[in-house]
Amino acid sequence: MEIAFNGSDYHILKGVLSVVVSDIQPLTPKRRFMSALLGGRQDGRVPVGNPTSVISVEVMDKVGIYFPEAHLDAEMMAELAATSHELLGYDTVTPYFSVQQEAAALGGEVDWGGPNMMPAMRDHPMTPPEKIEISEALLEHPALKVVLDSLTILRKHYGDYVAVCGKVMGPWTLSYHVVGVEPFLMMILDDPDRVRRYLDVLKEMTIMFARAQYQAGADLVTIADHATGDLVSPDTYRDFLIPVHREIIQRVGGPNILHICGQTIDRLEHFITAGFDCFHVESKVDIESACQLVKGRMSLVGNINNPTTLLFGTPEDVRADCIKAVDAGIDMLAAECAIPLTTPLANLRAIAETAEEYRRTK
Amino acid sequence: MSVLENLAQAIIAGDAMAAKSLTEAALQEGATPSTVIKEGLIAGMDVISRRFKAREIFVPEVLIAARAMHSGLDVLKPLLASSGQKAAGQVVMGSAKGDLHDIGKNLVIMMLEGAGFEVTDLGVDVAPERFVQAVQEQKPHAIGISSLLTTTMPAMGKTIEALAAANVRDQVKVVIGGAPVTQRYADEIGADGYAPDASAAVELIKNLVG
Repeated sequence: MEIAFNGSDYHILKGVLSVVVSDIQPLTPKRRFMSALLGGRQDGRVPVGNPTSVISVEVMDKVGIYFPEAHLDAEMMAELAATSHELLGYDTVTPYFSVQQEAAALGGEVDWGGPNMMPAMRDHPMTPPEKIEISEALLEHPALKVVLDSLTILRKHYGDYVAVCGKVMGPWTLSYHVVGVEPFLMMILDDPDRVRRYLDVLKEMTIMFARAQYQAGADLVTIADHATGDLVSPDTYRDFLIPVHREIIQRVGGPNILHICGQTIDRLEHFITAGFDCFHVESKVDIESACQLVKGRMSLVGNINNPTTLLFGTPEDVRADCIKAVDAGIDMLAAECAIPLTTPLANLRAIAETAEEYRRTK
Repeated sequence: MSVLENLAQAIIAGDAMAAKSLTEAALQEGATPSTVIKEGLIAGMDVISRRFKAREIFVPEVLIAARAMHSGLDVLKPLLASSGQKAAGQVVMGSAKGDLHDIGKNLVIMMLEGAGFEVTDLGVDVAPERFVQAVQEQKPHAIGISSLLTTTMPAMGKTIEALAAANVRDQVKVVIGGAPVTQRYADEIGADGYAPDASAAVELIKNLVG
């Protein structure tokens, strides 16, 4: 693959400026991000990542690579993923833009959408838990292999300098994919043992795909598992998912970020108990309360609002959101969730620009 | 406890079988279908709605309560049809064009039915023209459009434009909702109201069409 950009020069220049300002040896994007992820030393420049997609139509236009092709072609996926560093100045590159790659591999009918529409499932396979077989052969499925291959490409081009971020769906989200959201939510009350059987078998998919992603070149992996406060109680997370997430983290081993959208303040403590390195936190969660509650026991990344600030706001609005989050003590900045496809490029850039200008002072 | 109180409890507990048999028992005792709905089914769903809003319960509890309510309604529907019972209002619901999510919309429908409304569900991925057609044909009091994705929110504004173009905008109240939707956005596109959750949506529609 030809990488059209020359990102290193841009960052060396910024690095020189950093020395003048702070007189502290600047970290590279990768070291900065990985250190923050694991609660370590920083250089004052707030790390900026993208645990979830920051691809927009404007970004696609810039590189001439579009959805839906980029969901299923490894080189296109890698080149589009590289834009988060090259065009936006972030410290991470993240292929896998939707939440549907495993859904396709598990036999769901996925509509891959287009430049203006993210992929979505058209139907659910409804496979009973006893009939689901997770084997290494699934990694050869085109929808999974494309992610692994694009991670390898990104590793080759950026592995020495930028954090390469993988992404997998956790067993809770995979259960939504297999049976549908409403039927799965009712199953929690109707047949909790069946819920456990689904989680038990589908966690093997999460573990296998995450391991393969580290092996393919990921420095860290986002685990998306939507047991959000908008749908289920904190007790549901505690009872069903703490043991499952613990096992996933133990068996996978590499640095991780948990992604759950919506309101989650009532279950942050449970995420810490489960053992996640970092949580990708949405703007619905008051960031000051979250930082006070977590107190460095788990890193926090996020929480720049998508629908109001990034989509309809100005770069100044983005800057204000970023400063509020940094002052509250957030470890790394990021859009709160996969961005709306019509988000203006200037707003996406404003996150890293703010991180560069507004250095952490405390 | 009376049979109707027991029925309300069965709804709250999400016990569909008990809801069915208690509905039948209430009718046998001589209660009218509208009393069973009001003091049994709606009474139960009111409690569910309040608890959901207070975050004491979550979506799974609401879903099984609504299922129990439907098992009671199934018993009553044939009787209601013959008695010409009047609904609290007619509402047409759908997810915005391009949006395949339906759980939020379905919650609103369940709560509306629980509050005595007659609801037509147009499903997911509903084009503006289909909303217009439904307004022209069914003359509902309100339409509700739901969107979970910021990518599909613009379709809500297009629907309002399409209603205006067809000269039916002033005949119907338009309410919108969904995770990324805000009051500000509702004002921007000229909707009559926005609700942050399913309980609030029912209150909003009651106020708008009442």
